[in-house]
Amino acid sequence: MINSESYNLLLNLAKRNIKLKYKNSILGFFWSFLTPLVYLIIFYFVFSTAFASVENYALYVLTGLVYWQFFSNTTNQVIQSFISNAGIIKTINVPVISFPFSALISELGNLVLTFVPFLALMYYLGYSPGLAFFAIIPVTVLLAILSLGLSLFLGTLNVYLRDISILWNTLNPALFYLTPIAYTLDLVPEKFHWILKLNPLWYFFKGVRASLYSNTWPSIETWGYMVLISFLVFAIGWFTFKKLQPGIISNV
Amino acid sequence: MAESKISINGLALSYYSFNQGVNSIKDIFTSFSFSKPFEKHEVLHDVSFEIMPGEVVGILGKNGVGKSTLLKAVAGMIKPSSGKITVRGKVAPILAIGAGIEMELSGYENIKLLVSLMGLPMGKIKEIMPKVVSFSELSDEELNRPVKTYSTGMISRLSFSIGVAQDPDILIIDEVLAVGDMGFQQKCMNRINEIKEGGSTILFVSHNIDDVKKICSKAALLANGTLQEYGEINKVSNTYTNTFH
Repeated sequence: MINSESYNLLLNLAKRNIKLKYKNSILGFFWSFLTPLVYLIIFYFVFSTAFASVENYALYVLTGLVYWQFFSNTTNQVIQSFISNAGIIKTINVPVISFPFSALISELGNLVLTFVPFLALMYYLGYSPGLAFFAIIPVTVLLAILSLGLSLFLGTLNVYLRDISILWNTLNPALFYLTPIAYTLDLVPEKFHWILKLNPLWYFFKGVRASLYSNTWPSIETWGYMVLISFLVFAIGWFTFKKLQPGIISNV
Repeated sequence: MAESKISINGLALSYYSFNQGVNSIKDIFTSFSFSKPFEKHEVLHDVSFEIMPGEVVGILGKNGVGKSTLLKAVAGMIKPSSGKITVRGKVAPILAIGAGIEMELSGYENIKLLVSLMGLPMGKIKEIMPKVVSFSELSDEELNRPVKTYSTGMISRLSFSIGVAQDPDILIIDEVLAVGDMGFQQKCMNRINEIKEGGSTILFVSHNIDDVKKICSKAALLANGTLQEYGEINKVSNTYTNTFH
């Protein structure tokens, strides 16, 4: 299925996405680095005294923010990918699935490129990478599968009902605060833990923190949940896309 | 008898719109049916004809009759709701002026992007780039500028140049010649003739009946959601012009 032509197509679309995103801005690509940094500073000043019990709060927040940015950007870009490429979809014979995939690739590329300076910053904040560092690779892949599946589901529906993307943008901040990014589970009263654990993202951020914060391998249980959730969500997204694909060209 | 290049048999084409026009929240609760979320609109039905290799066929018909939809089906972008389309060869569709052109990117960047959107391997770019540049007659300085600074005519030059850079098996042209100055229009017609003489099959839509007569040997007339007439160009174009009198 992936031949050199479609590889070339995906790569060129991903490059275009990145170019377009930072066109006409002076700092351009550096914004992918600066945005989480700004949030880090805000959270550090607002919460570091209140959350003094969290060991190395800055590193804790940074690892969460980097991956939240990846999740949030990927879902936004993929959900919009059909609508923003309507002109191409209607006039050029390109497989429609190229657009969500290329959106994911450009966000993954963004993450990889910002990872180097972030890693330097993490090191400065006291992170000492060990072998468990490499756990971040499969964790990232699983989070990417989850993000793609979820936004393929929402993005396909969004072609028909534009409320979906508006709703997603509205719920995005709520989901941010429902996910332990700026706080730890210990800071939440025990009776509310079950609510936080209902949030599928919780397991992925647990995986990210294990690798990049506490330098341990994620537990078997965490791996199990991540694999199960990401594949299940992807299957739902893929099925929805396949089912509704024939109408996309006339409804974008 | 030689094998046909495009064979269309009992073709019906439809598009699907989301359920019964959900325009408000109220509609969702009152008229939404989960069992049949899509409404089917039939554009064309019972269309059958064959196009032989090297034939240049004009598609005639009033606005909204389904010319573009038919072309999209031949290009493989729309699946028939019934019937069959067999296309033998690689199709190069030029369905709109500036299709896929990204305003923020430069001319050169757009050429590379569009070549990959048309499904060509990157290796081809070296071969295609000089052809596109010389055909478009855009200067190096212009091609380095973002396309948003181009005039409509310049955009159509760029777009058309990429579309016809290669000698395609089957070329589809949908009303894209209207813009561009007289010199460029003439150049496009010459290039289409060149492609025709090279043995390619061409499907051509234009409301300029003189253009159609000039390059097409045959024509298909669409009316009332179906194929009304298919045959020799002068005969079909007479029927078509008579519908307006």
